[in-house]
Amino acid sequence: MDVSYPGAVAPARERFVESLGLRLHVVEWGDAAATPLLLTHGFYDHARSFDTFAPLLARDYRVLALDSRGHGDSDWPDAYSWLSDVLDVVNVLREIGRPAHVVGHSRGGGLATDAALLFPAGVRRLVNMDGFGPPPEGFQAAGMRRYQGTVPELLAAFLDWRRTNVSRRSFRPSPSLDDLAARRRQQNPRLTQEWLRYFAARGAREVEAEEVQAAPGATRSEGEARAKGWVWKVDPYAARGFGPWRPEWIAPAWRGLAVPMLAVWGDQPDTWGLPDPWRSERLAYAPVLETAVVAGAGHFMHIEKPAETAAFVLDFLGRA
Amino acid sequence: MKRLASGRSEVALHELRAGAGPTLLALHALGGSSRDFVALAAHWPGRVLGLDFAGHGDSAWTRGGSYSAELHAADADTALLEAGDACIAGAGLGAYVALLVAGARPAHVRAALLLPGRGLDGGGAAPRHDQALEIRNAEALRMLDAAAARPRPAFDPMLRACETDPRPPDYARAFADGARRLLFAEDGRARPPWWEAARGASCAETAPADPAGALQRLLEAVR
Repeated sequence: MDVSYPGAVAPARERFVESLGLRLHVVEWGDAAATPLLLTHGFYDHARSFDTFAPLLARDYRVLALDSRGHGDSDWPDAYSWLSDVLDVVNVLREIGRPAHVVGHSRGGGLATDAALLFPAGVRRLVNMDGFGPPPEGFQAAGMRRYQGTVPELLAAFLDWRRTNVSRRSFRPSPSLDDLAARRRQQNPRLTQEWLRYFAARGAREVEAEEVQAAPGATRSEGEARAKGWVWKVDPYAARGFGPWRPEWIAPAWRGLAVPMLAVWGDQPDTWGLPDPWRSERLAYAPVLETAVVAGAGHFMHIEKPAETAAFVLDFLGRA
Repeated sequence: MKRLASGRSEVALHELRAGAGPTLLALHALGGSSRDFVALAAHWPGRVLGLDFAGHGDSAWTRGGSYSAELHAADADTALLEAGDACIAGAGLGAYVALLVAGARPAHVRAALLLPGRGLDGGGAAPRHDQALEIRNAEALRMLDAAAARPRPAFDPMLRACETDPRPPDYARAFADGARRLLFAEDGRARPPWWEAARGASCAETAPADPAGALQRLLEAVR
């Protein structure tokens, strides 16, 4: 299916990088001999979400974008943990073989920041685009399912879920790419249908009813792909981890950052952006910090305003 | 030995002892295996099942290298489904997992005995996001290299993430408050903050330091 979008450029190269027994999908734009720059996407996104942003950076850099495990065309693991996702970024940086700039959006910004903590020798400069974690009470999105109860009850709910749902291959399919994009737009109303259709054409797959039969042992069928249609290339298990993690634990570790960080956010309110006072509180932990605010953009500033966002990033990286 | 599907992987459950009477599920420490409980099983009158956690013993390594106490709790939950209602004895990381499962599945865990051992040690009063990854620079790279090494070591080097405890004491206490009965084997030595916090629950009591004596106390508690 050929869906185009103004300014979007397909990557010049693609390949796979091995990490902890998984094959991770990496795409590249720009001169392979230039200084490397690694892009890491957000939750439920994929590497091709950078198709309008990466070409602007590729004028100066060899730009690589990683599909996180469980996302896009990368393998799905047996289970998820924050650490193993961070180590995937470290492994890709190691494979690149020389220090790279790392630019991450949303959850990918958090992964990039922790990868810089673990592997400073592999990171030149760090850009975190609104990847400062959720507010203490979590993001308050309309229609999003929230699990309530005591911590033991929440673990019991996770254990129940895992007993039966871990072999699900997808959520309920949409009858068309347009419908899938429209459903996504309910979560991200600042993004246009035109963009989301482009994004979906590269981040979704078409399933047949036979392809999505649950594996033996999976008894629950709610939400399972039953009819032919389109689903995101995302592992349903990626959204259902469990652990004692709390948002306020994120930033204190940033005190150990050995590289300068540029923190980028948009000036428009957005469900998925971290507002003040939390943003300021967390950023105060970064030892060497610059900030950039993209006017007229929300959480997806690199998609809403790619040229303005790229200008901030190029200026910061150019001073390395 | 029985192989049980746990999530997308498989774990090994060993019958260490057959017998009538209450079932005991044994959970080993970080880097150990169900074999660590072979001698102790003789002190229990009923059936003793020993689980090899993911990444250990005869169980598969988790593809992709993700390990946590909560994922190990899912392994133990799988074993509990096989065992029916049971008592649990856990050491180190296995003790923490016993606490999690006793709190999350109180209808199926009659009592849990917590023994000292390796795993989720340390910790502190203030939670630290990065505590599980106190692996910096060259050390992080060494762990990644060890995980890729052949032949494989006895247990997955990625389990290093379970060495120390990033969890706040009130997290452990919430599980202790949800449990039916918890016994803490005490030898007078200092324990991690999570252990001390869980000990404050009203269902908590002290057990002898020697494991056989502690197991006897566990048996008395459920008889």
